[in-house]
Amino acid sequence: MIIYGVYIVSKSGGLIFNLDNNVPRIEHEKTFTYPLDLVLDYDSKKVSVSFNRKDGINVGHVLVAVNGMPVNGVTLDDGRDVRTTLDAPENYPINLKFSRPKMTTNEKIFLASMFYPLFAIASQLSPEPKSSGIEILEADTFTLHCFQTLTGIKFIIISETGLNGIDLLLRKVYELYSDYVLKNPFYSLEMPIRCELFDNKLQELLAQVEKTGISNIDK
Amino acid sequence: MEKLEALKISSMRPRSNILDRPLSKGKTEVSQSIVALLFSEIVQYSQSRVFTVPELQTRLHDLGQDVGTRIIDLYFVRERSSKRETKLTQMLLFVKTTVWKNLFGKEAEKLEHANDDERTYYIIEKEPLVNTFISVPKDKGSLNCANFTAGIVEAVLTNCGFPCKVTAHWHKGTTYMVKFEDFVIARDKQMEEK
Repeated sequence: MIIYGVYIVSKSGGLIFNLDNNVPRIEHEKTFTYPLDLVLDYDSKKVSVSFNRKDGINVGHVLVAVNGMPVNGVTLDDGRDVRTTLDAPENYPINLKFSRPKMTTNEKIFLASMFYPLFAIASQLSPEPKSSGIEILEADTFTLHCFQTLTGIKFIIISETGLNGIDLLLRKVYELYSDYVLKNPFYSLEMPIRCELFDNKLQELLAQVEKTGISNIDK
Repeated sequence: MEKLEALKISSMRPRSNILDRPLSKGKTEVSQSIVALLFSEIVQYSQSRVFTVPELQTRLHDLGQDVGTRIIDLYFVRERSSKRETKLTQMLLFVKTTVWKNLFGKEAEKLEHANDDERTYYIIEKEPLVNTFISVPKDKGSLNCANFTAGIVEAVLTNCGFPCKVTAHWHKGTTYMVKFEDFVIARDKQMEEK
């Protein structure tokens, strides 16, 4: 069983904790000949594909290596500019490695605050009053499980599809939160969680779940 | 018939009145959550009234002393039939075992005597109860909230006639350094000679 990540959203909709647990690395490598048939977008921070998808390389993927040499932003490890390297015909054939961009913290905060209104809309869509909102959201590659506490804090776990008993795990995370975060005198409510003990215990819990399954969590 | 029923009821009554029974000891355990939340509040309260980390440690230490002075008599009456310890090692053992057990439900892990200084003793505790749920932020690196416990220990020892200074440090978990006044050591040696 694979758990991709754990997120905690405060009652005002801000992301206060996130943990990337087991994110699959999607990388594709291909040797190209001149002229390059991908249209690349040269940002100030990264080089990404903006047109033409092939062999797993998708629009939005970021260039991470040229001929096995890592790319830092828009320059190669040895200081050469990526654009001039790719524009020069004498460098071809050239081997390029693309990968799905890692989500930055800002993007995560953005997505977490997007989930908040979705949850609110879902609970209002219900014909019954006081519905809970989104509890499970299923996609073909992952499932999102959400648990909202009585105080309005949302615990979100992203996992692979077809798992049972994630709600138990969510409650266990809630327990850890109420122990190691709320009983910590140096934590102020609604603020990002920076508690060493909480991090450790959560990682221990996830490791245990991945090894032995959810049914074996001690209650 | 009525008489008979009345007789029945009276015979069913428990023989011993509640006033005749000895006082029940009651539950001696307290929920750890409550203790942790209360201690967390104590720390937050203290923190809002100080500016620096050392000040916060001193404040916790002082609060611990208040607790310490209040528990000595209680424990000596309960556990040692009102007899105080007079020997230094006995006193330290009393702190390590009895006091710890009554306060935290377990004994402290180790009691050590410093090699280079005969005035100094160490009480070592791997995971102090007060620190169970506390993660100290990086900007307060040296802070150890177990200074509260150090305050308790200091008050217990000092008020039993063994004046000392106790501080808490991050070392093998938490180490309480107990530094006695010179005359305490001298007096203890004298007693041994007799």
